Amino acid sequence: MNKDIREGIKAALPVVLGYLPVGMAYGVLARAAGLSIIETGAMSLIVFAGASQFIAVGLLGAGAAIVPVILTTFVVNSRHMLMSSAIAPYFKGQPLRNLIPISAQLTDESFAIAMADTSRITGRPRYVIALQMTAYSAWVGGPIAGALFGTLVDSASYGIPFAMTALFICLLVPQLRTRAHLVVGAVAGVLALSFIEILPNNLYIIVATAGAALTGLWLTEARRESAKAPEGAPAGSVTEAEVEI
Amino acid sequence: MRWEMLVLFLGMAAVTFLPRFLPMAYVSRLTIPPRVKVFLDYVPVAVLSALVVPAVFAADGGGVGLEPRLLLSAAAVFLFSYKVRNLWGAVVLGMAVYWVLG
Repeated sequence: MNKDIREGIKAALPVVLGYLPVGMAYGVLARAAGLSIIETGAMSLIVFAGASQFIAVGLLGAGAAIVPVILTTFVVNSRHMLMSSAIAPYFKGQPLRNLIPISAQLTDESFAIAMADTSRITGRPRYVIALQMTAYSAWVGGPIAGALFGTLVDSASYGIPFAMTALFICLLVPQLRTRAHLVVGAVAGVLALSFIEILPNNLYIIVATAGAALTGLWLTEARRESAKAPEGAPAGSVTEAEVEI
Repeated sequence: MRWEMLVLFLGMAAVTFLPRFLPMAYVSRLTIPPRVKVFLDYVPVAVLSALVVPAVFAADGGGVGLEPRLLLSAAAVFLFSYKVRNLWGAVVLGMAVYWVLG
């Protein structure tokens, strides 16, 4: 097997560990909301967007019509615009036949894994596609298992509710690489906590992300200004302006 | 499968695909202005923090909740991740600590 593909599959395995039980839980909820086993699997296969699938089966269970569910899905998944923009520069010049599968399967988890070490994704579409396809397989397999057998394991035990949080924490730590990143992370956290109960449909994620990244931009520009002001030296590059912890 | 479910899934897929695909298609073909690049550079840390902080600190029904089980599990994973960059280890450790404290 191609080395990029092998490494991509390996990089996805921690996500599989999280997706399988969460997918099973979704499968059980989907059945409870009146979806057939095939429909439960088909939604994962066709849509592949965890948070919005949970919300969709919740709405369907409550008797919602098709159009409101689609609109809600759009709002929930609009946060991927920022992630897609942030990862896009690493695929500069890639043909559409690579960009389509990469973007179709862009999830919070695969985005975070890919961005943890951008040297591994640059010019390696196969690595990214293999990573995402592996996660996708778990996201389709888990719900089918859940729909068929109920949850094989109690999804509230064995620390399963904490699996995704642990994954995200481990991916967050290496991103806190400068003081500015630390501030941006803190701002995002405070904004997320402030808006989570106010905004519906996970919109707090996009608001917190955009607000915090704008704060980071402002910090970087302010530092560049103050670096250049005293001696009238030319503005430093982004990396020079950042301060190592 | 009921046809209205198929319509629903295809509709959901379309509105999920567009925000994932359009920026990828355009941004990967542009020369990005420096200020936009700085902004995009901060997106990963911002997204991850926006996902992690509420998962650890949000109380049901709003506000900040300090649940020892969540805080200790998160602290263990944070320290481990700081020392050892191993995703598997972090997930397994986090699940184990959370389970033991339950």
